[in-house]
Amino acid sequence: MSNDRGHRVASAIDSLITHLLPANPDDDDQVAQDKHDACFELVRSIIERPSSPAVSADVNHASDLIKRKLIQSNPTQALRFSNLYTRLLSLPVLNQKWAILYLLYQLSDSPDPNEPLPLSPLRQPGPVHRGQSPPPPPTRGVEWGESSKTATPATIPEEDAFEDAFASSGLKKLPLEKTRPLPDDDASPKKSARDVSLKSTLLADNSVDLEPSETVLLRELPYTLQGLSSAALPFVNDTTLKLPRTLPPPIISLLHTLAEPSLLYRRLASFVKSPARGLLGQSLRAAINIELRAYLTLIATLEGEVRRALSSLDEAAPRHGIGKAGVTLKRCVVWTREATMGLRLMSLMAEQSTSKHGGQLISLVHGFSSSHGDPVVAAFAERLLADVTRPFYDILRRWIYDGELSDPHLEFFVREQSPHDEDRKESKAKGQASVWNSKYEVVDAMVPSIITADFAQKVFLIGKSLNFIRHSCGDSQWVEAYSKTSSKELKYGDTATLETWIDEAYKTTMQRLMELMDSRFHLFEHLQALKNYILLGQGDFIALLMESLAANLDRPAGAQYRHTLTAQLEHAIRGSNAQYDSDEVLRRLDARMLQLSHGDIGWDCFTLEYKIDAPVDVVVTEWGNRQYLKVFNFLWRIKRVEFALATTWRKCMTGARGVLQTKDKEVLQTWKGTRGVLAEMIHFVGQLQYYILFEVIESSWAELQKNIRKEDCTLDDLITAHTKYLTSITHKGLLGARRRQHHDSVKEAALASGSRDPAAEVEDRNSYMIQLSELLRTMLAYRDSVDGLYSWSVSDFTRRQELGAVGLMRKNQVSTPSDGGGGGSGDQPGAGLDSAAGGSGSGSGAGIVKSELPALQERLKQLGLTFRTRLQILLGDLAYQPDVDMRFLGVSMNFNDVYQPVRRKTKTSAGPGAVVAASGSGAGSGAAAGSAANTSRAA
Amino acid sequence: MAPPDERSEKQAAAQQAVDILHEISTILNCHLDRRTLSICISMIENGVSPEALASVVKELRNEAQVQEAHAQEAQAQAPPVRRR
Repeated sequence: MSNDRGHRVASAIDSLITHLLPANPDDDDQVAQDKHDACFELVRSIIERPSSPAVSADVNHASDLIKRKLIQSNPTQALRFSNLYTRLLSLPVLNQKWAILYLLYQLSDSPDPNEPLPLSPLRQPGPVHRGQSPPPPPTRGVEWGESSKTATPATIPEEDAFEDAFASSGLKKLPLEKTRPLPDDDASPKKSARDVSLKSTLLADNSVDLEPSETVLLRELPYTLQGLSSAALPFVNDTTLKLPRTLPPPIISLLHTLAEPSLLYRRLASFVKSPARGLLGQSLRAAINIELRAYLTLIATLEGEVRRALSSLDEAAPRHGIGKAGVTLKRCVVWTREATMGLRLMSLMAEQSTSKHGGQLISLVHGFSSSHGDPVVAAFAERLLADVTRPFYDILRRWIYDGELSDPHLEFFVREQSPHDEDRKESKAKGQASVWNSKYEVVDAMVPSIITADFAQKVFLIGKSLNFIRHSCGDSQWVEAYSKTSSKELKYGDTATLETWIDEAYKTTMQRLMELMDSRFHLFEHLQALKNYILLGQGDFIALLMESLAANLDRPAGAQYRHTLTAQLEHAIRGSNAQYDSDEVLRRLDARMLQLSHGDIGWDCFTLEYKIDAPVDVVVTEWGNRQYLKVFNFLWRIKRVEFALATTWRKCMTGARGVLQTKDKEVLQTWKGTRGVLAEMIHFVGQLQYYILFEVIESSWAELQKNIRKEDCTLDDLITAHTKYLTSITHKGLLGARRRQHHDSVKEAALASGSRDPAAEVEDRNSYMIQLSELLRTMLAYRDSVDGLYSWSVSDFTRRQELGAVGLMRKNQVSTPSDGGGGGSGDQPGAGLDSAAGGSGSGSGAGIVKSELPALQERLKQLGLTFRTRLQILLGDLAYQPDVDMRFLGVSMNFNDVYQPVRRKTKTSAGPGAVVAASGSGAGSGAAAGSAANTSRAA
Repeated sequence: MAPPDERSEKQAAAQQAVDILHEISTILNCHLDRRTLSICISMIENGVSPEALASVVKELRNEAQVQEAHAQEAQAQAPPVRRR
């Protein structure tokens, strides 16, 4: 058995020698063999030399030695070693683990064998040392000597004393070893070591006895570092550590340095215990607490070292041999230095965090990690960030996957809007507020710097959409399913992945929202219907409605009844292509009367309405509805004028073949002029309608369609596009509000109530809206006059017929019907008329009829003139419009330069006249004032 | 003889042990390569005292360095010899 072992050892030695000693190619076999044998012998002799038996065969002992050595030279590796060590222990093989470790320990920090010997020329070849332990090359074998002295003094082999003395040159490498060469080393002095030793002795002899002694200070130091008062180093209050006065300045300065982490720890500990205002504050405290625990672990290790060192103190030695123990105040300072940095940084954060809240806290910590030049600080802050951001990411997750804002302390950058805000009230008053854009808002100050503003906007939109889908669209099932399937744990770190997730979530939610809007809530159908009915896109329906309602609406507004209106509406729907529209659309269509005011007739008050309910009302807002209504009222009025003019025109044309035939030049002339003006008016209305319906509404509609049919259209885009659509219609459709902002609501209210508010009209006297309504009113008045002329002509015709019959009967009486035109050109003076009037019973009626003609002529002339002047002013305004489409309207109205556009010099000078004209409802006074206004304008 | 898979298990464990020890030796700056390390392990397992082995390794290293130095000297001297 032992023979077998010997064999194995021998072969192992063989291979070791061949491995470590490279064969010299110059030597021949014999020499090589000799060398090998020599080495073998040498090794044998070393191995067989009886070793010191006192080395305890304890695996822990060897590992302790290594650990201690590593802690002193390279603390980070110590942890790694203990990991490796536990792994090694768990392995089933190897019976002599301690011995192997011991071997490694012995060999530690040996010089690299591949480096050539620095002293090679001077050295004797190896065999000189045969049988003797060779003096090692100058190494830093210090640890060995030192630790063996402290822990296993019995095991020092004799060569270690040798080494110890020799090693003084190696000390320079290790700053921590300064205290090492102390007098009790002098037992084995060597020349080279003597100087140092002498100095140390001198130092040691001259060292003042401290009060309290360094050992006491060391013993109490761990407590101080934990922020606890001790006998020698009591804390006076939270921020003051009292140092004993008896200590010399060097020690005091060391203690000053050591006091810093102690005080910082104390402050941080109280900060951690202080109540936080929010989740992020709490997480910051937790993260700091974790770091503090790591600090305490360090202190515990330190305390272990201190205790071990103190227990092995040699009472007899100077300074109680404290320098030999390996733990001194100076060393403690070094050990705690890195920790102090961490504590300092944390206390800075803690200080700054008091005024910060929520996302700002993250920005604060992130600021340290991203924009601090010191990599240690950056890494530290980065580590903190992972813990600090956890609640933030929890909120974020709830928000982008569930659409719920679970943020009890208002720390997230999305916030529920408070209804009492001033800004909100304003937008609410304007009807632009809706569930979509008034429920939540982004607080820019709270967006943490770990995410970009773009990103924040996206996150905001995702959550908002989910919330909207759940609460307004009533599709919480989908939201729940979605959050179940796609919910992911979000945490700080991998920004790229996070972004892809968010993008994904964004796409999914937006798609779903648009899908819901389209399929479940028929948003696009509603928009189409609004255009068809409210913006008069459906021509046959509107024509039929107007025709069937015309008789009704001519009556005063008070005589309008809802049931007749709805009945007519129903009739119009049934009689036109509207009947093929879906029920969903048709049941929203309603006819009603606007607020009545005195003197209105049905035309002024009638309106169609399209009822929009949630959730579509986020797109077609209250404001949007009002715009639609405004446009409808305007278009309806134009349509009505067109309808009225067309009716009159038809009557005239029919009449021209019958009742209007006359031989009176005067009357014929009047009729001719009237027809001319009528044709002008019809042309104007036609152009206006064409412009609004085709140039304005259709082109805006096409634009809207293009925008909302885009691939990645979001609800926000849709709302924006729709608002733009309405704005462009109202602006280009000459309804534009280019007034100071706060008049808008007044004006809109006025419009909605039939634009009878004089105050509003004063404000808007220069707008196209007012100009156009003046024009339309003039046209209506003109039409009334034409109707009057028509009736006069008819009665004149009747009178002539009667007169003819009477004349036939009374042949002696001579009278010419041409006298009827005696307004100024009659060659027969009024005597004839008088006689006619006085002469017959029917003559009294004829007299009245006759006297009406000049007034009618005058009125027609005035109204025609007014119309022309107003139109010219309008054209003048249009010609200088920045908008091409509106200029085009001017051109198409005046394509053959019939009118001379009048450029108004100053808009205010036209004011008073226009006001009078606008408020004058009486026909005569209106015309007079109108002409007065014209003259004033011309001037 | 142990069944083959138990054997291979043992081998794996030994391999692991060498890995760990090699890492430790790197931490400790021992400058041992894996082969030397495994020879040392086997010697220790066979009862060689670690201290003695340590001095053996150091000694052999010295020897190797000395040899190398010699070889270099020889090389440095060789060319003039040839010239002569």
